[in-house]
Amino acid sequence: MNAVTRGIRNAFRNIIRTSSIVIILGLSMGLALSMLIANKAVGDKIVAVKASVGNTVTISPAGFSNFSQVNNALTTSQLTKVNSLAHVTQLSENLTDRLTTIGSSQTSNPFGGGNSSSSNNQTSLSSPVTLNPDSGGGGGGRLFLSGGGGLPANFSPPISIIGTTAPNQINGTDITISSGKSINGSLDSNNSLISQDMASKNNLKVGSTFAAYGANLTVAGIFTTTNRGASNSVIISLPAEQRLSGQSGEVTSAIASIDSIDNLSSATSNIKTTLGSSADVVSSVDQANQAVQPLNSVKSISLYSLIGAIIAGGIIILLTMVMIVRERTREIGVLKAIGASNLRIAIQFMTEAVTLTLMGSAIGMALGAVAANPITRLLVTNSTSTGTPGVGGGGGPRVGGGGRGAFGFVRNNFSSIHAAVGWNIIIDGFIAAIVIALIGSGVVSLFISKVRPAEVLRSE
Amino acid sequence: MLQVKNLKKSFKSGDTIVAAVNGISIDVKDGEFASIVGRSGSGKSTLLSLLGALDKPTSGEIKVDGQDITSLHDRELIKYRCQRIGFVFQGYNLVPNLTAKENVMLPMEFGGVSKNERQKRAQKLLDQVGLKADKQKRKPAKLSGGEQQRVAIARALANNPKLILADEPTGNLDSQTGEMIFDLLHSLSKTEKTTIIVVTHDQAIAGKTDSVFKLKDGKLDKRNK
Repeated sequence: MNAVTRGIRNAFRNIIRTSSIVIILGLSMGLALSMLIANKAVGDKIVAVKASVGNTVTISPAGFSNFSQVNNALTTSQLTKVNSLAHVTQLSENLTDRLTTIGSSQTSNPFGGGNSSSSNNQTSLSSPVTLNPDSGGGGGGRLFLSGGGGLPANFSPPISIIGTTAPNQINGTDITISSGKSINGSLDSNNSLISQDMASKNNLKVGSTFAAYGANLTVAGIFTTTNRGASNSVIISLPAEQRLSGQSGEVTSAIASIDSIDNLSSATSNIKTTLGSSADVVSSVDQANQAVQPLNSVKSISLYSLIGAIIAGGIIILLTMVMIVRERTREIGVLKAIGASNLRIAIQFMTEAVTLTLMGSAIGMALGAVAANPITRLLVTNSTSTGTPGVGGGGGPRVGGGGRGAFGFVRNNFSSIHAAVGWNIIIDGFIAAIVIALIGSGVVSLFISKVRPAEVLRSE
Repeated sequence: MLQVKNLKKSFKSGDTIVAAVNGISIDVKDGEFASIVGRSGSGKSTLLSLLGALDKPTSGEIKVDGQDITSLHDRELIKYRCQRIGFVFQGYNLVPNLTAKENVMLPMEFGGVSKNERQKRAQKLLDQVGLKADKQKRKPAKLSGGEQQRVAIARALANNPKLILADEPTGNLDSQTGEMIFDLLHSLSKTEKTTIIVVTHDQAIAGKTDSVFKLKDGKLDKRNK
């Protein structure tokens, strides 16, 4: 039997004490592991979110809010200058508006926002959106009624109509043409794209017509999309929307594509300079940073908790070993008296500390593996639900309604955060545990070296 | 074998300095069975700890086989304690979670003896001190006081030391068992030709040893035989 074997056996010398220490260490290690996993998962998500935002710059009229009704739209001529700037490869321009269903009773702007509400803004379409006041955000379901009360029986939610030069997307989300064909966003025609839900609700198919702004629009194509709010939308070309809504040359938003992420910052500055105070210019990186702000908080919390749990684990093992050494002072004296060196005794006690810590770590790993996901979810949910909504929240002229924008994007995306326990984390965890044990017991080695062999004769 | 010259050991107790051992000089021959007697506080145990290099003297000289152990460095002292000294304590001081045999093997491990050799020798020593085979695998808590002291004697003999120091080896035993343990030490000193120094306050036991050193107030009061 050598010092290592004796150390391992000593770890089981007092089963009750060993069990207690191992459980406490296990809880500490479990928390540390959960935090390590949460930190890594959130970190990965932040990287993924930032990588997925692309090289785009969003341009909107200055002070434009989805909840405000200012009519300070940009103009096509202003944006033409932007299109000619260096590194801008493409510019998609949009003019959004809201149509009410002919014969529908309207509440006092239940969805907020919207650019105009003249009597001309009517359509024969009925919205496919089923209102459910308790359904929550993420696609236009939530409804707030000022003054309370119920909805009129013949109420139909307003429908978004988007005039765009890029009819293949809604708010950056690609659409898929399921029947018919797409339209030319630059050509002034009465052709339109409607969602599958809209077509079903109104019994429309490719070639059918419907009324809007007092004109007849033709269904050129029917689309599907992952953007839930887009089901309540009609897409037409930008010139057609400008003509039909009487907002000639006006644009409510534009998205500029930049040739490289490296040029994003300089291109954003150039666009800001070109448009001056008339526009708010936000790059996709800025949006991503706003979007991941709650995640950064979670990452910080998990990091501090991880450090705290590791320190707690270190203190537990240190105090345990101090207690054990004090209790076995005479035994240490005996070992020295019969020829053991300080190093040999220290190795024995270090092995004991490592054994206790590894047992605690094994329990901690199991706890961490079970608790990591719920803890991560809890941290993310709490952080995002108390966070400040980012750009683009709310409903109104932007397609998607309540819950969209950075904040909604964050919440929807973060529900997919999966805290996985990989081998690398387990190995890192065990290495960290051994280091903690060695540091804790290493300090104790100083106590051991100070025990005099003559201690063995004390109180004989 | 053992020559002690003008050995002194003082301790600080508050503002005063207490001389626990105050200028002791003794000679013990090879294979001699000697005893140190004296009242409580006379300096017996302090002298023993100095002889066993468990503590360092304030001044004086301790020569074992001609080598002055007071000038040894820490590493040499460890080797000295391991290979040239065997200790037997009043309270046995066996490691509680090791078996009797493992306790005997312990000094041999520190001395670098191979595992096979350790096992053979431990068994032989335990047989020699009269501990039955079935008890050799027991832990100290499952042995009587006399049996534990036998194990402690076997442990002291493990590395074939030239000098065995025993601090009141019969102090915790009944008189009959104490006499058996004393007889065992006595016979070992003859068969193994080991020098044994026993600290005791029992005059009857001391009377059976080859020489008796009587201490009083840290000084050698008398040497008999």
